[in-house]
Amino acid sequence: MAFHEERRRVGLRLSVLQYLVVVLFSALAISFWYLQVVQHDRFQEMADNNHQRTLPLRAPRGVLFDRDGRVLVENRHSYSISIVREHTQDLNRTISLLSKVLGLQEASVREIVDRHRREPSYRPITIVQDATLAQVAAVTARRLSSELPDVVVQQVPTRQYPETLAAHLFGYVGEVNDAQVSNADDLKSGDIVGQSGVEKVYNAMLMGEDGAKRVVVNSTGREIRTLEEIPPTEGKRLQLTIDYDVQKAVEDAFAVSGFNGAAVVLDPSNGEVLAFASLPAYDPNAFAAGIDRNTWSALTTDEDRPLNDRAIQGTYSPGSTFKMAVGLAALEEGIITPDFKVFCPGHANFYGRDFKCWKRGGHGAVDLRHAIEQSCDVYFYTVGNMLGVDKINKWATLLGLGVKSGIDLPNERQGLVPSTEWKRQRMKEKWYAGETISVSIGQGQVSVTPVSMAVYMATLANGGTRVTPHLLKAMDEGTGWKPIPPPAPQSKIDIDPDKLQAIRDGLWMVVNAAGTGGTARIVGKDVAGKTGSAQVISNAGRMAARTTKNLRDNGWFVFFAPRDNPKIAGVIFAEHGIHGGNAARISHHVLDTFFAKQDGRPLPPPPTDLKLDLSDAMAQPHERAAREEQDR
Amino acid sequence: MFERRLYYHIDWALLIAIFALCALGVAMIYSTTSDPTRGNSHLYVTQLYAIGIGAVAMVCTLSIDYRTFTDKSHLIYIGLLALLLYVLFLGTVQMGARRWIPLGVFNLQPSEFAKAGVALVLAKYFGETRGMPSWTDLAIAGGLTCLPLALIAKEPDLGTAVTLIPVFLAVAYLAGMQMRILGYMALSLVLIAPVAWKFALKDYQKSRISTFIDPSQDAKGAGYQQIQARITVGSGGLKGKGYMQGTQGQLRFLPVAHNDFIFSVLAEEQGFAGVLVALGLYLFVILRSLEAARLAKDRLGSYLVLGVLASFTFQVVYNITMSAGLAPVKGLTLPLMSYGGSSMIATLAAFGLVLNVRMRRFTN
Repeated sequence: MAFHEERRRVGLRLSVLQYLVVVLFSALAISFWYLQVVQHDRFQEMADNNHQRTLPLRAPRGVLFDRDGRVLVENRHSYSISIVREHTQDLNRTISLLSKVLGLQEASVREIVDRHRREPSYRPITIVQDATLAQVAAVTARRLSSELPDVVVQQVPTRQYPETLAAHLFGYVGEVNDAQVSNADDLKSGDIVGQSGVEKVYNAMLMGEDGAKRVVVNSTGREIRTLEEIPPTEGKRLQLTIDYDVQKAVEDAFAVSGFNGAAVVLDPSNGEVLAFASLPAYDPNAFAAGIDRNTWSALTTDEDRPLNDRAIQGTYSPGSTFKMAVGLAALEEGIITPDFKVFCPGHANFYGRDFKCWKRGGHGAVDLRHAIEQSCDVYFYTVGNMLGVDKINKWATLLGLGVKSGIDLPNERQGLVPSTEWKRQRMKEKWYAGETISVSIGQGQVSVTPVSMAVYMATLANGGTRVTPHLLKAMDEGTGWKPIPPPAPQSKIDIDPDKLQAIRDGLWMVVNAAGTGGTARIVGKDVAGKTGSAQVISNAGRMAARTTKNLRDNGWFVFFAPRDNPKIAGVIFAEHGIHGGNAARISHHVLDTFFAKQDGRPLPPPPTDLKLDLSDAMAQPHERAAREEQDR
Repeated sequence: MFERRLYYHIDWALLIAIFALCALGVAMIYSTTSDPTRGNSHLYVTQLYAIGIGAVAMVCTLSIDYRTFTDKSHLIYIGLLALLLYVLFLGTVQMGARRWIPLGVFNLQPSEFAKAGVALVLAKYFGETRGMPSWTDLAIAGGLTCLPLALIAKEPDLGTAVTLIPVFLAVAYLAGMQMRILGYMALSLVLIAPVAWKFALKDYQKSRISTFIDPSQDAKGAGYQQIQARITVGSGGLKGKGYMQGTQGQLRFLPVAHNDFIFSVLAEEQGFAGVLVALGLYLFVILRSLEAARLAKDRLGSYLVLGVLASFTFQVVYNITMSAGLAPVKGLTLPLMSYGGSSMIATLAAFGLVLNVRMRRFTN
């Protein structure tokens, strides 16, 4: 009985266990169904994120060519080293080990990582943009031994400027900053964009489209295989209007002169920029792979301000180079004829003040042509006085002075040609007729940028069309070169050819007769030009300061050539160049190179000695007497 | 000893199901360990050897009448305790635990054999007592369970130690333990739990439990495996990613994929369909074994079968739950499928006993 009872109980309890097991297994099956079928998509995505990594393939920027098809800016392969935090177990360990391996300061690596901390963890944080082969080898070895599985070495194209020519023209590239990212939807953090110059202005064309590589990685972050690769599209190739040979001539001559300064050389018929320089320059290559802090602070604290683009951002007193604007204004306003003569005794009295000519002995009776040739101050005092400041302003503006040139470079500054209106608005004061006298010889408040001086000369050369200087000649999207139409001129006037000819003759005489620009003469090329020198500080101030170089006068030489049917126009601005004649010596090499190339002659070798006249004006007080008067 | 007619009573269906699971295990081990980038691994070969040895052990435990084993169970039990003590003092240390006795080719893990040993001794003890087990019976049986349990827990190998508890509970339950005693036990467990949390559990054990409740609190650490397990299983979908095509297991996002998480890999590569097949095989093995317990000629046989089955079922259910990321991660293998020689041999030997009981249901 007991046995039977027991038998029944065992059977019953076994049944209970059977049902229990069936219930448990059903619960398991339902759980798996829920995970694998109901929530499949979610987990599939998580699994994909786990093992797939998308690496950006940076697009090379478009190559820049000169007008003859010569490569000016290209790309080279470099290696970047980045951290991908996606599978990082211990970021601090990675940072300290990586900085040790790379020979970098741990703090600086940490700073870079911190700056990008908020970004998605799959996006590589670039630690070194342009790694040395030793760094690449060291990191690769540790990747293979799985010590640094979260560190990626990538081959990236890096901007290369083969010769450090025209630094300010090309500008430089750098990592996009936060403000730029938020202003443009097609930029993302880490992108390399143009930060100045052509690189900035034409960034959208030059940038190209990054590609991507989807790879399978394992749990330690090692790449197993590539799933998909979208190759990057190179940026558009751009042909610039720059003539490499002319550009090089400018920079060679400046280098020999030892001056800082600026140069802009144009084709006067359409505004194409043949050469463009600002000195001192910087090496754009230093920016290409991320500039280091020391180099950057050296550039920003340098007293010579190498980052400043003097050609479009420096405003300087034009001095005597302004006289053609006054002369043309007087002719066009019908106030004088080219034969109008003024007697120069070496000084003249206006409104009760004595204004001196630079030539203490005076020029005697001079007409317009000779006044330009001799740069007679008294002649232009007289004519300017007859014109009044507003007419000077009108014609100077039509010739391109005191306004922006519209060149396709960022942050151009505007010069100033004063007017009664300007003074009333700005100073809330009436214009005094006596102030016009200084303005007539480019002193006083007149200031110009070198690029506007180039436009001024181009306008005189082409007969009144204020061309817009521009740098882009053609573009290639991979289907061959397509010319880019030049921008429309800023303004256009018809200057009476006879009147213009008088100005041109005067300019021709400056170089080819008894003028101050004889050093720019080229046989058979009829160079027309004008020197100018402008004080940086008053003579009195300079005596007090007792320093040397950086207070010396600036030297100008503006030119076009040949006189009739000009092919080239431009400006050489020699900062602290003392005399316009020194700028003319630099121009000579530029013009010589240009015409040699045009004629198919061998190019002149870089000058070894410009035979500069470095005698300080202070040693010849008689020459400066007139100016001294103005500076009071 | 092995009468010819016994041969006809062998449960071939159960045997086929068991070896089908072994084969499934070997296939998954091969899938997770043969990574061309890491050089060829021969773990699946080792597993095949273990299955071979296990089959021999099975023949042994099958051939001798189970009553002979239970008669000698006190000796087996004492020998087992001796081995566990030996391991505790002289065993090889791996991953911070002393669990193995080195035997040249492979390491023997005595704790795996403790399950069958305890099943034998408990079957004998309860088989000899008549009627409902008294408190004293339960205390003695509990003591017999706790002795090896304590030794194994000391290694430390809490996972394996815990598998002994279902053996005791199942055999005592079948032997007629009153339900209210079971209730008392559950109640005292609830009361002890907070005390154990405070004093008995080590920090890593606490963190395992707390991260189970919220895996994301330590997504790169202790919660990592659990999250990865769910991703592995979930991403498998209905049909799976294909044999050796899994990403989670193949690319090692899931640790010890060939061992503790082999079922996750199966779920990833074979999908829900594969999961149903494997679950079905396990369910069949368990139900078929329960059938053997029901058919057993004597109580002794029933108890023995259930004792063996209890730890097996507990481990299967727990491991599969864990492999879906639904239970805290514990170093518990999946019997018959996970990589591991001792476990395989001990499990097959234990199923030898199950077959033994069923086979001899008509003998005297």
